[in-house]
Amino acid sequence: MRMVTFRTSYKAKRLALALAVVLLLGFFLLPKQLQSVFQEVGSPIGWGVSWPLRAVSGIQGGVADFWSSYVALQGLQEENMELRKELEQLKGQHSQLHEAAAATERLTALLEFKEQEMFPMVAAQVIGRDTGNWYRAIILNKGESDGFRPHMGVVTPAGVVGRIVKTTAATSVVLLVTDPNNAIAGLVQRTRDEGIIEGTISGLAQLKYIPLLSTVRLGDRVVTSGLVEGFPRGLSIGTITRIYKSEGALFQFAELTPEVDAGLVEEVLVIQSPNLQTENEPSGTLKGKRKP
Amino acid sequence: MKILGIAGLIVGLIPIQSVLLPHVAVGGVMPDLGLIVVCVAGFWGGELEGLLVGLAVGWIMGLFSAIDLIVGISTKGLVGYLAGVVGRHVVYMTPVMLVLGLFAASCVSSLLTALMLALNEQQNVWWVLKTIVLPQAVFDGVVGGVFYWLAWNRLDIEWLVSKYRT
Repeated sequence: MRMVTFRTSYKAKRLALALAVVLLLGFFLLPKQLQSVFQEVGSPIGWGVSWPLRAVSGIQGGVADFWSSYVALQGLQEENMELRKELEQLKGQHSQLHEAAAATERLTALLEFKEQEMFPMVAAQVIGRDTGNWYRAIILNKGESDGFRPHMGVVTPAGVVGRIVKTTAATSVVLLVTDPNNAIAGLVQRTRDEGIIEGTISGLAQLKYIPLLSTVRLGDRVVTSGLVEGFPRGLSIGTITRIYKSEGALFQFAELTPEVDAGLVEEVLVIQSPNLQTENEPSGTLKGKRKP
Repeated sequence: MKILGIAGLIVGLIPIQSVLLPHVAVGGVMPDLGLIVVCVAGFWGGELEGLLVGLAVGWIMGLFSAIDLIVGISTKGLVGYLAGVVGRHVVYMTPVMLVLGLFAASCVSSLLTALMLALNEQQNVWWVLKTIVLPQAVFDGVVGGVFYWLAWNRLDIEWLVSKYRT
């Protein structure tokens, strides 16, 4: 093999060492402040980098579309037949639900319940995945300039996808509901038992802190409870597939299969809830108020 | 010119890392091209260059990840600096040396990241080692080795190194 020699001047070495020490000290002494400085300064850089990211994502999307539209069409007829059958069943269910909804509306009017406020939602496209291996996250093609902020909830019509954790001028990073470091307040739709939904290392989610006396069972649907910022009440999260508890534990736990397969999601809706707390504000301070 | 080249490389890294590499991920783990670039910059350019490229790559990649920016910046910066220190003492840079160097650098970087991140209780040390640290280190070493081997066969590596340093 050929020889490659490495030399660095003494001055450069000292400069590198000094820079490393200063940064290290800064990171230990003022971690939050430095983090926000780097995030703020990086926001326009993120905008610049988002262009090649969108371009590559567009090309990749085009290739994937071509593949799914023209190449991977085997078994389409069978799938079509199954979907037609399913549609017939759903039509029947739809008319029943329509009746139930009309009845609920009448009763709501009678009892003068206040309707749950619907926050405005903005559509965004998924243009990439987390650049590292430590978190399950996706990157959206919209950011601060579109009004996106950290802690905003991200959904699809099927259910919850995750929560925005970081934004630049033109992109946002969404931590998925299946990431173990994400936590959302949820409740079992049938029993109204509340708990915390957390991702698992196997790529699913779990509902923690279900009371021991709860009658929760397999197949129960879990929805958002509306107690955590970013998500209104009633958004579908997943279906319970396993219930377990440790010996002597005060609570039981349930494993969920999320409604949304984050690996396949291409478009999402970002809930622009007005009462989001920013990091700089003291806890308890609200940016806006919900309508009464 | 060199700075522009490195900046272009970093900008080009993000779409590859974020859009294309997830398709080749094995068990949810993909190689970290940023780390490979940082190590090569350290090996070839020395401590200062390794540190600066490491800080820049850690910062830009951190903007497109859920990871704490500070963790990304400091681990990549430190690995770049260490690669520079090691590079000064390594006389023969062969593909095998590069693969081993990248493997070690990736292990150091991932372990530091795991220490600095407040990970969930499910993600204990053994889980982190067997599902992220070691697979990523193997990936990084192999991908770096393949790039080097290709460059070795197709390009004049000594000319490239001398150009890089000037």
